[in-house]
Amino acid sequence: MDKRNNPLYLAWRRFLRSKPGIISGIVLLVLYLVAFLAGFLAPNNLTVQHPDAIYQPPQRVYFFRDGRPVRPYVYQLKRERDPVTFISTYREERSQPTPIRFFIAQGEPYRFLGFKTNWHLFGVAEREGYFFPLGTDQFGRCLFSRILVGSQVSLTVGVIGVLISFLIGILLGGISGYFGGWVDTLIQRITEVLLSIPRLPILMALSTVIPASWPSTYVYLGIIAVLSFIGWAGLARVVRGQVLALREVDYVTAAVAQGASNLRIILRHIVPNLSSYLIVTATLALPGYIIGESALSFLGLGIKEPMASWGLLLKDAQNFQSLSLYPWLLTPGILIFISVLAYNFFGDALRDAADVRSRD
Amino acid sequence: MKRHLWLLAAGLLTAGIALAQPKTMPAYANLGVTTGKAGGSLTLSLASAPQTFFYYGAIDSAIQNLANQMFDGLIEYNLANYQIEPALATRWTITDSRVYTFDLRRDVRWHDGRPFTADDVVFTYTQIVANPEARGGDAANFEGVKIEKLGDFRVRFTLPKPAPAFIHYMRLPIMPKHKLLPFSQEGGKPRAEINTAWPTNVNPEEVVGTGPFRLRSYTAGQQITLVKNPNYWKRDAAGNPLPYLEQLQYLIITDSQARVAQFLAGNIGQLNITGAEFPDLKRRETQGAPFRVVQFRALFGSPPHIGFNYNAKNAELANLFKNSDFRRALQFAVNRERIIEDVYNGLAERASYGVAPLSEWYYPEVARLQGRFDLAAANAALDRLGLRRGPDGIRRLPSGRPLEFTLTYGSNSAVFTAIATILQSDFQRVGVKVNLQGILAANLLGTGRGADWEAILLALGDQPDPELRTPIWKPGGALYYWHQATQPTTPTGQPQFNNFLPWEREIYDLWERAASTTNFTQRKALYDRWQAIAAREAQVIMIAKEYAVGAVSNRYGNYIYSLGVIPGFNPMPLMFQR
Amino acid sequence: MGSYLLRRILVAIPTLLLISVLVFAIIQLQPGGFLENLLEDPRVSRETIENIRRQYLLDQPVWVQYLHWLGGIVRGDFGYSFLNSRPVSELIWERMGWTVFLAALTILATWVIAIPLGIYTALNRYGPSSTALNFVGYFGLATPDFLVALLLIFLVLQSGGTAVGGLFSPQYIDAPWSWARFQDMLAHLWIPLIVIGLDGTATIMRQMRANLLDVLSQDYIRTARAKGLAERVVLWKHAVRNAINPLISLAGLQLPTLISSTIIASIVLSLPTIGPFLYDSLLNKDQYVVMALLMLSAVLLMVGNLLADVLLAWVDPRIRYE
Repeated sequence: MDKRNNPLYLAWRRFLRSKPGIISGIVLLVLYLVAFLAGFLAPNNLTVQHPDAIYQPPQRVYFFRDGRPVRPYVYQLKRERDPVTFISTYREERSQPTPIRFFIAQGEPYRFLGFKTNWHLFGVAEREGYFFPLGTDQFGRCLFSRILVGSQVSLTVGVIGVLISFLIGILLGGISGYFGGWVDTLIQRITEVLLSIPRLPILMALSTVIPASWPSTYVYLGIIAVLSFIGWAGLARVVRGQVLALREVDYVTAAVAQGASNLRIILRHIVPNLSSYLIVTATLALPGYIIGESALSFLGLGIKEPMASWGLLLKDAQNFQSLSLYPWLLTPGILIFISVLAYNFFGDALRDAADVRSRD
Repeated sequence: MKRHLWLLAAGLLTAGIALAQPKTMPAYANLGVTTGKAGGSLTLSLASAPQTFFYYGAIDSAIQNLANQMFDGLIEYNLANYQIEPALATRWTITDSRVYTFDLRRDVRWHDGRPFTADDVVFTYTQIVANPEARGGDAANFEGVKIEKLGDFRVRFTLPKPAPAFIHYMRLPIMPKHKLLPFSQEGGKPRAEINTAWPTNVNPEEVVGTGPFRLRSYTAGQQITLVKNPNYWKRDAAGNPLPYLEQLQYLIITDSQARVAQFLAGNIGQLNITGAEFPDLKRRETQGAPFRVVQFRALFGSPPHIGFNYNAKNAELANLFKNSDFRRALQFAVNRERIIEDVYNGLAERASYGVAPLSEWYYPEVARLQGRFDLAAANAALDRLGLRRGPDGIRRLPSGRPLEFTLTYGSNSAVFTAIATILQSDFQRVGVKVNLQGILAANLLGTGRGADWEAILLALGDQPDPELRTPIWKPGGALYYWHQATQPTTPTGQPQFNNFLPWEREIYDLWERAASTTNFTQRKALYDRWQAIAAREAQVIMIAKEYAVGAVSNRYGNYIYSLGVIPGFNPMPLMFQR
Repeated sequence: MGSYLLRRILVAIPTLLLISVLVFAIIQLQPGGFLENLLEDPRVSRETIENIRRQYLLDQPVWVQYLHWLGGIVRGDFGYSFLNSRPVSELIWERMGWTVFLAALTILATWVIAIPLGIYTALNRYGPSSTALNFVGYFGLATPDFLVALLLIFLVLQSGGTAVGGLFSPQYIDAPWSWARFQDMLAHLWIPLIVIGLDGTATIMRQMRANLLDVLSQDYIRTARAKGLAERVVLWKHAVRNAINPLISLAGLQLPTLISSTIIASIVLSLPTIGPFLYDSLLNKDQYVVMALLMLSAVLLMVGNLLADVLLAWVDPRIRYE
């Protein structure tokens, strides 16, 4: 078969036409790679508190000394406290440069592909001082390491949650719109029940049901389950509306006349027509999950301290004090923004690529 | 023995017995108070909308704030030393520690011009305060108390038995009989009807008090406006009429960041903040912002503590939590110094149980008995309990299960979240695994009073007299939530003494004795002893008492910190606009 | 159509009943109750608590409380607020005005801005201005409401402004309407509009773009063009009309956001709407207020859904209800 007629190849060609699509694809690839290697890339343990380094600003990395390139190094920061305002200020101790070491084995071991290891890509030797590339939080915990490990939660919770809720939503919405009758009525009433109760009381009730002693992985799965459980209903309604309209379109009635099975009609003729809408909705729903996860922590339902997720980390920045004194705490927000941007531009490009009829 | 205690305001002594009886405020030079000028307006904030305008109709911080400005009690607190001073009562005698006779201030008028008399006082205490159906009443403390009118300006309270803290209940606001009679039992209504008086949509003219300000208007969910009472009965030290301010406005702002924003924008003239918010505001002050941030050691306020559930559902944990050695061991792992430094920015101090360090009832040995942060001591004590560490560093219970428990805390408070995180990290270092369970702070007390928790980070308020906190600290009390097996099975029953631990029995007896002792020195000795036992047994683990921090715009003078909700402590009349 | 409407309304009744049972159960699941926290005040004794419990039937089994509430609804009585000692309906009405005003304004602004922008970004898909618009939209989506509000307030403060919350400056809250008061409101209004409306605008804009692109490549559009119809007619009469269709289902879901979606924004911006009132009542387990508000939101949703379905059938002749 001629490669030029292969629809996948054509879609790929169309995808390559979109520069934002390519760039965001690469960005997403890098983000997921980083999340996968988080333990290795993080220079510090994400739970260890350093009381002598609270709210430490990001440490600057130096590549030159006396005008000559040397091995990268940082200066240790000395904490001073303003006697009037009690603000911690930090001063570089120029006398003692601390070299950054690469492939260094130290600290608490972490799990990687089932192995326990304590190798890190970079860091400074524990006896020589600290290296906090993005500064620290209120407890002196390394923000960079927490962001890396938090990305594992934030980059997956949305994707899996959206996938689950879309599966339920498309299936039930499709069935509802296609078959009509009492099936439609039943499913529509269920979605109405789900949609009509605002999220907050549902979450408040659920938060009292999930036990506190659950390990983080359970909590994580629980969050996905909760979010997708309330997420599918709106989608089901839209899919139903679309299916109602498409059911009457010529090629569907033709397929029915030919005796095609119902499932085949839904999957082959109706869903592809919705793909454009679905891709956009999915990419739009993602940030809701990433941010929504942090709202859950507020109710005691989400990722718990000392674990981290981007949403949870961003919560630390949500007061005037942090905005004016500790702006580096906003970095998780920038990462959420970047990932949302990447997902959406990627989604746009995907949509355009999947659009078979597009001629321009 | 018959003992007379005459308390007279200094100004009155020199003025002699005049018919018009204004109260002249002390000079309060040590608080920086100067003579102000009349006029101006001040805007403040309330964290929630008022539920009612009737103080006794709800337990609600908004109406408590407002009532402080609109009403007065028979007595009030000195703003500098918290001693009791005359308010609507000019003087009183206490006979046999049981019979309290009050002379009332003459020529005080309600906001609508009607005279204030003994009828109002008798009505307030018999029909409202002692009414067990009044939501914000205090029926329990007035059981068997006989309240009589002895003349237009004299009332007598006869107690069934001596009650040393009784005088503090006289700070409750006095209500106008002529307005509230139709809602009372005396007015022919069922007792619960009183709660429906003055709902938030009431005509503001109806809400009359004797206080420095009167209600002008309420815009639902947004703002309350009070205006000056021109006939108020207080004078400043120079004899000028109080209050100085012409108008008080309260904006309803739920979110603490939003309050800070409104203050920074100059829309609010004064704001109470926490130590956690101090650095940023103080920095702005040092950079020339037009306000001052001031800190005080405060008598009132709620220091947090860790409570362990002596009756936890997990029997093994319950046994440990009930064991003073275990609680003491964990107390060694509580780094109070670090919490004070890092969470409160140094604006806090060591705390005792229900008694502020500033209070005359504070037992100074408490801090020593509570001990210092010492991980080695904590480890040694836990080892002695036979709780050996497993290969993962977590200690094992006798059954072989890891020693882990859930710590419930208020997730919508930055301070509580930070304390919980520090505790978790430090307990981990002594081999105790803590699972944090954040819940909304409003649900904390409800959770603690239930059965479904293991450890909890909770804050209960300090009061000027320990007696006022009996339900919390006396074993078997309604708020003795950490050992619920001691509580009575029926609301009016006796505590379950058979479930008392030996030291709890000791505390119980001390409280019983203190409740009927009237001699201050003897009472103090009893409460000292109680605080010593509480600290020794680590009944709960007290964390820290936060300083009071307030910010006030430079446009205003004579600012004295106040929580706003404590009846009888109201510095607002002295504040003035420059 | 008439019988369809009737059937929908009849079906709504059992659905509402089911919702009310669920909502009641949800409230009961919360730990403690509005009475528990009263005990912290030194004035309150256990006896007082018991009295109030009896007064509000809280000592009765849950199903008795539920039936009592249901009986009230049938008589048109939405119950009594524990906290406020006032009828629930009064309290809701007090806050309804600003809530409807803000929600209607936001929904209107959202659609009026988002649909044209969606069309614009679809027609100029790779242009720099489209990319810039997308950026702004994504920023709104990627930032929690709370943070957006905080950042806007922070910016206003840094630039010396004073309109940092609420709908009016303190001196205008009670004032009668005047030009100055109107201006003052406008100075405050843009922050809530952005905070509440940004998410919706971005979402609708993105979906409109996708739908329009879909429709534009359909055969009938090409047929229309081939027939020599003016591009303007093709676009507006055929393409846009069909592209809006899926959004109509979405619009039906927007009605209950009157009550629930503005909670966080209203709290941080101190808006006098129902959101914070619902939040307070939830925290304090003021159960009849919560029930009334949640049921109101359910009814609004059903009305919205019904309107959307009817509208869908009207806009899109392909849809039929048998």
